[in-house]
Amino acid sequence: MGLLDGLRAVLGIRAETDASRDADPEDLFGMSTAYLTMGADLGYDFAGAGALCFAGVDSSDFAETVDDVEAILEAGSEETGSTFSLTEDDHGYHWVVIEDDDPEDLITSLHFAADTFIERGYGSRLLAAVFAFEKPDDPDGRAYWIYSFRRGAFYPFAPRSGRNRDSSAEFKLESVLDGELEVEPEKEYWYPLWPSASGRHPWE
Amino acid sequence: MEWQTDWGLRFRMFLTMFLLFALFIVFAGVITAYVDGGLFVFALLFASFSFVQYYFSDTLTLRSMGAKTVSADEYPQLHASIERLSQQADLPKPKVAVVDSRVPNAFATGRNQRNAAVAVTTGLMQTLDREELDGVLAHELSHVKNRDMMVMTIASFLSTIAFMIVRWGAFFGGGHGRGGRNGGGGGIVVAILVSLIVWIVSYLLIRALSRYREFAADRGAAAITGRPSALASALLKISGEMDKVPKDDLREEAEMNAFFIIPIKSGVVGRLFSTHPSTERRVDQLRQLEREMEAA
Repeated sequence: MGLLDGLRAVLGIRAETDASRDADPEDLFGMSTAYLTMGADLGYDFAGAGALCFAGVDSSDFAETVDDVEAILEAGSEETGSTFSLTEDDHGYHWVVIEDDDPEDLITSLHFAADTFIERGYGSRLLAAVFAFEKPDDPDGRAYWIYSFRRGAFYPFAPRSGRNRDSSAEFKLESVLDGELEVEPEKEYWYPLWPSASGRHPWE
Repeated sequence: MEWQTDWGLRFRMFLTMFLLFALFIVFAGVITAYVDGGLFVFALLFASFSFVQYYFSDTLTLRSMGAKTVSADEYPQLHASIERLSQQADLPKPKVAVVDSRVPNAFATGRNQRNAAVAVTTGLMQTLDREELDGVLAHELSHVKNRDMMVMTIASFLSTIAFMIVRWGAFFGGGHGRGGRNGGGGGIVVAILVSLIVWIVSYLLIRALSRYREFAADRGAAAITGRPSALASALLKISGEMDKVPKDDLREEAEMNAFFIIPIKSGVVGRLFSTHPSTERRVDQLRQLEREMEAA
């Protein structure tokens, strides 16, 4: 909390400026080494899915941007073999869900999508990028790395049944990958992204 | 999507704060000159006032409004919405409270971003659809982000002191009058008169400042949700419902209005004294944002 932040707060413009802060999609590439550590040190397999969560804007220009993102992913899917879909969740947020067994390809596709939003001036609408991991021997042992575009940092999320979080699993993920990924230091910002009642992943 | 900065709003807000501050300096000077121990009383009041505000404002406000903190199990949808919006606004999640009331309303409180609470009435949740509710919640989160509670508390401090001096002026004078440099009595009269003027002027300035904060929070909400239109329709719905549920007893209203040729609620007088800008003006501003967004 610097002096300038205080001044912006006093002038009543912090909410406005923070909501329109630029995100840095380059951070997503941190995942391309992190998934190796996840497998080697923690026994988590890449679950072959990742997603980009964004809030919509009520304008025709934004609708065009989403079309552009779709077109880019469409073109890319021929090369990478990843499949993608667009969904909306119960909270009115939109998701670009990408499925690909090769983590490198998936990260590249997500980066492309995020970059397109940012280039078109909608970086502030991006909420999070989510990477799914699972344990081969434990069907309930799911874990996610969530990249917050607001904070410019990753945090772990291990949802369990009944809207519980496995904090010890999250702690383990944090301690092993801190340094490799930019991990959000303040736990107050480790927001969960719960799947809907019938869903499995946060975007379902 | 970056819409234009509202420099007019910022300038007016800055000017109001500057005037309040200048008024404060002059007032402190006069009081110290005319009342013995004035500075001491000032410091004491300021310290105790800030202490209470700092540590108890959120609990006190919640309690006085009859708001009850609720868990995610009781109101999963509300919690989830606030969670997402806080994330979008880059805020830690505030406490969530609900007031059992049919009047659709919402408010935010708390000394800083880590100790904030957002409260909504059950009537609000029934009246608005999800997007509109998100707009209102984002508006309250903007208040938290912009530290409006803090700003308004500091701004109101001056008028509170002035009010106290007007009220208890004679009492202060009684205690110190005899040994006073200025012969006691005369000084106290000046102090009370000055306080009275300061009280009225600062009151009007605070009301103006409060209205500007509302506009700023509306803009913040539009930036967070990306839907100025949702907040606008929420405001229209709320004001419509508000009119249907009168706050005062009909008989009291009739009696009060008998004394005023123009009812106090409208006209220049009403506008000067109100804390919130009128719904039409807020909706106008939001419409402007909507247009800027389309044009971008």
